Amino acid sequence: MIDARKQDRLTLALGIAVFAFAGLCWFYALKFAPPDAAQGEVYRIIYFHVPSAITAFLSSAVLAVLSLWTLFKRSPTAAVWSKASAEVGLIFTVLTLVTGSIWGRPTWGVWWDWDARLTTTLLLALLYAGYLIFTSSMSPGPQRDRMSAALGVIIGLDVPIIYKSVTWWRTLHQPPSLLRSGGSSMDPDMVKILMTCLVAMILIGAWLLWTRSVNLKLQASIEEHSHSVHSH
Amino acid sequence: MKTFLAQYRALLWQAVQVEWANAERWLSPLLFSGTMILLFVFTFGTVEPKFIPQLYIAATFLTAFFSLQISFSRVLEPDMQDRVFDQLRTYPISPSAWFLSKYTIVIALGVLILAPTLFLSDLFLNVSGKSLLNGSLAIIALMALLSLGALGVLLSTMMLRSNAKQILYPLIYFPLTIPVLLSAVESSHAILVDGKDLSYLMSSWLGLLVIFGIMYFTLCLLLFGELVKPE
Amino acid sequence: MLEIKSLGFKYQYKTILSGLSFDAKPGEILHITGPNGSGKTTLMSILAGLRKESAGTIHYRLPDGTTALDRRSFVEYLPAEANALFGKMDAMSNLRLWLRLRGLDDSDNAIRPILKNWELDHPLIRENFSVESFSTGMKRRLALARLELSKTPCWLLDEPLYGLDAKGIDTFQTMLNGHLLSQGITIIVSHDIAPLERFRVRKLDLLHDGRAS
Repeated sequence: MIDARKQDRLTLALGIAVFAFAGLCWFYALKFAPPDAAQGEVYRIIYFHVPSAITAFLSSAVLAVLSLWTLFKRSPTAAVWSKASAEVGLIFTVLTLVTGSIWGRPTWGVWWDWDARLTTTLLLALLYAGYLIFTSSMSPGPQRDRMSAALGVIIGLDVPIIYKSVTWWRTLHQPPSLLRSGGSSMDPDMVKILMTCLVAMILIGAWLLWTRSVNLKLQASIEEHSHSVHSH
Repeated sequence: MKTFLAQYRALLWQAVQVEWANAERWLSPLLFSGTMILLFVFTFGTVEPKFIPQLYIAATFLTAFFSLQISFSRVLEPDMQDRVFDQLRTYPISPSAWFLSKYTIVIALGVLILAPTLFLSDLFLNVSGKSLLNGSLAIIALMALLSLGALGVLLSTMMLRSNAKQILYPLIYFPLTIPVLLSAVESSHAILVDGKDLSYLMSSWLGLLVIFGIMYFTLCLLLFGELVKPE
Repeated sequence: MLEIKSLGFKYQYKTILSGLSFDAKPGEILHITGPNGSGKTTLMSILAGLRKESAGTIHYRLPDGTTALDRRSFVEYLPAEANALFGKMDAMSNLRLWLRLRGLDDSDNAIRPILKNWELDHPLIRENFSVESFSTGMKRRLALARLELSKTPCWLLDEPLYGLDAKGIDTFQTMLNGHLLSQGITIIVSHDIAPLERFRVRKLDLLHDGRAS
């Protein structure tokens, strides 16, 4: 039996550490990072937007791996983790969409653009939502774990294909936007800060995944205990 | 191998018999697609001749996608009556034979919907007098169908156990199949508007469609066994 | 022989069965009893392979002592409250499908004598007449005809007498007798005990033998 109180304290400590690190990164990015030549100060949202987008896509890979694990190892724990990874993924896709939209307004002049990455993120959000609705619409048990895992594998493997096709679709209709020249033209300082922010965001994602999985397992064991109380 | 083929044939024959007895099941998606095309005609109004191919492609594939979704989501409906699906699970059936028989019937029903849809939209939407139908377009449509079929069977098996089947199926199915829709539309566009040929497309959109199709077919074949195993 | 060792089953955290061990031997009728909710139907569906046991093992031993790789080849299941028949197909097509799936003879010569036993061998019933328009008793008789045709050594019967008239019960008893004489195994759940009284039946009470509590 795990000592719940000890685990709680550990989770809290890790959470404070992770968010303090992220806060520091964002503070530095807002205050000390050099302004962008073309976009001025507005571009700073990149330090939030890009890391959350990458974390959102990483979650789909995590979901696929955990789902495969559920299928091959028949592990109920992996199933709980898969569900948590989809929830974390949904949070980050929504964050990406919101920040992308806020960034798009001053730079592109519109709230939404059918940019390949934004479009794929939108589809990813739909898929995460679909996965979560599907999971919650079934009664708990190995059957649900297996069906959700099958869906998780499909979603995880489809995301790169969706991304590829949407990118082609955009580039056939219009040249890639100037604003997204990215990488090579970026100031080395900016790249460093961006990478640090990315690490911070992935850590937040990992912490959320961990906390939520513990939470879901606890929920399951409470339910189990309430049943055993009933039957005695 | 002998049992495999015998089981495949038995299950396929059963599916054909049930579909044949129930004309509504394959007729209603067809009627739906006819209605959709009429709606497109009404909403677009008069179109300049140069836009006709584009409109034709968009309307045809969108219509086909919707009506195929209706047809796919009901693949396992006959098996749900009187606990037949469970009884099949108590028989020593090869999951691959089971999956392939469902896949075959889905493709057959799909052709039954797709071919008239292509024809009807050429008739109603293409008022230029010069038919847009050609072999390349038929091949593209068939490839799209082959890719979609596998996913259709698997998702419809998954949704059997779900309480929110009506909303969930489209919610998951459409985002997953965006690559197929895009490939089909873009390939047709390249052929009808830009005058490209199939060999050119194999290195781009059609290639993606083939990869998608092979990947999903394999994946769904493997996963289907997981879905019919004991709980 | 069907060997069940310390079988356990949990559903949504509820323990339905635990520590259940028994053998079903050739030429024996095992009558599963117990009050409502004691897990009779659950046990049958686990044995049929519809649900996976949470603990314990189920083995089907072949006459030579080895264990069957897939016990479903030797077991035929008759579910309660359903007949598992395709409503849109006629009686012959239904039976042919199930026989072909087991790789058995599906010719008219093989099927019709059994249909005759169950009073379904009439041209208007046999063919071109979809099963969904059958009466309750007719559907049940067709499902029992499938059971008889399956030629499996182990039968799992969940309320097999439901919807049968006196004549049907009589046919059922004859069939069961034949199965016992050919050293078949029968595991049965039934509230209607009278028709079973003429057989030697071993009872298994789930309330006493099937739960830890």
